[in-house]
Amino acid sequence: MKVNACTVCEGKAEGEAVVCNGSFSFLGDLNPSTGEISIPGHKLEGKSVADKVLIFTYGKGSSGGPRIAWLAKRNGMAPSAMICLESEPVMSCSVIAANIPTVHKPEKNIFNLINAGDYVRVDATAGIIEIIKKNSS
Amino acid sequence: MILTKEEQEMLEGKKGPGMQRAMDLLVKLCKAHDVEKTVKASYGHAPYDFVPEDFWELITEGVEPVMKVTTHPSYQPEFWIEWGIAGKNVDKIMVEHQKKLKKIRQLRWLRTDTCAEYLLGIIPRKGEIVPMHGSCMQIANNSLYGARVDRAGAFCTLASCITGRVPLMGLMLPENRYAHILFQVEGLNITNWTSAHYSCLGYYIGSKVTGQKNVAVTGLPNDLPFDFARALVLPMPASGAVTLCHIVGTTPEAPSQEVAFGGKEPEQILKIGKKEMRDTWERLNMHKDSIVEHVAFGCPHSTIDEIGEIAAMLEGNKLKVPLLIGASIPVESLARVQGYADTIERSGGHFLSCCPSISNPFVRADFAGKNRVKRVAVDSARASHYLAGVAGADTFFGTREECIKAAISGRWEGGKYEG
Repeated sequence: MKVNACTVCEGKAEGEAVVCNGSFSFLGDLNPSTGEISIPGHKLEGKSVADKVLIFTYGKGSSGGPRIAWLAKRNGMAPSAMICLESEPVMSCSVIAANIPTVHKPEKNIFNLINAGDYVRVDATAGIIEIIKKNSS
Repeated sequence: MILTKEEQEMLEGKKGPGMQRAMDLLVKLCKAHDVEKTVKASYGHAPYDFVPEDFWELITEGVEPVMKVTTHPSYQPEFWIEWGIAGKNVDKIMVEHQKKLKKIRQLRWLRTDTCAEYLLGIIPRKGEIVPMHGSCMQIANNSLYGARVDRAGAFCTLASCITGRVPLMGLMLPENRYAHILFQVEGLNITNWTSAHYSCLGYYIGSKVTGQKNVAVTGLPNDLPFDFARALVLPMPASGAVTLCHIVGTTPEAPSQEVAFGGKEPEQILKIGKKEMRDTWERLNMHKDSIVEHVAFGCPHSTIDEIGEIAAMLEGNKLKVPLLIGASIPVESLARVQGYADTIERSGGHFLSCCPSISNPFVRADFAGKNRVKRVAVDSARASHYLAGVAGADTFFGTREECIKAAISGRWEGGKYEG
């Protein structure tokens, strides 16, 4: 299944989906040394997003986000690609500087279409999300 | 997207590799947000110690300055060594710090090293476009002076400082600067309020706002003193994502509620009374016992008046725990001329032009190593938030006087919210 979206940062990448049904900030929510989600008490706490496709609702958080995105990418601990409902300037700056292929404003509700563990291909340059369901062959 | 000839040259690398990378970052940001063009900034305010070394070198490579740029607080690791509080990482931090300072001299940037450069007379006019690093600088210049400062990521602000260009979006546009949410202060006895009280109020307001909304506050006296107005707006981007707060009757874009809202009705009205203040005050006290190991002032960087008050309270006293005042070097110099610095240092206090919350060398485990302290008293809600959240400290929140008493006795005897 394919869903159109808008480009935030160009590039192509793929991986297993990690679905965070809430807003996300690199600063505070991600440990750039381990690639693990670090939100205390969050259901994804301790889950690694390294080389996975991270799906979340909106960008948030302080202006320091790009530093963490950059360090995570340098450490090989950044998501391979990211999808969100709507990016904001700090999130956009983070993914563009760290060069993480990212799309936002998907045409369909991705939270209904993508479950954790599905395989997702993101062509952020063309603005296409391809979903390969976990159970399909 | 429309680029001027000069911007096109920057993008093509004709003005050097650093300028090219900076312009590329801004152009990509514009494209992601359907922004048609950038606008010229008057001056900018940049981070440096906070920027990863490899990114710093890439974006400053071969750059010639195009406008005035000032700097955000430094780490000043040379003082950690002098005071005997440095951990084993200090040598590495020092080398990177020195390299960046060398580059800053080449770029002819002003080393203001402060989160409150308006105290140095570097003040934007209403409507002036000034890209700023740090949510504290963004909200202060936006709200208190009516400058145009957008919420931006640290690296994009750095790119704006290098290119002199800012994407024409968000709070750059007058139509996006009106308030959305109204906060009405009611039934509070504010006669004896200190800046800690305004800080607590601002922290509550920020925590009630989701997403990027502008707020307005009513129910406070007109022409609120600068220190109180600043204390009120500064915590809002820490507990929330507010970048512009209109204090009706005080700030330049809010002579009246109607003007602050652009003639529209508020999307939401929230009232603030004693319960909200009491609960927030309690929430800012995140400690298990009453032992205080450190007191930190200067979040945001202290004014000369604050330092004068601290000196008066410390006169003739000896501190039990180290006290740090975050202040810019020019303000510290004035404190020295006035004799305040002498009094404070004689009692055992220190000055540093660092961020006393996020990069406090007494508290940060990666700076102080095994010397680190974990229980800190503050008079700023923003400080309490970041010392607990980023540095993992137990925090005591109260008035400046309560913090000074704790620095002298080593115990917290601060009370609950009153007023």
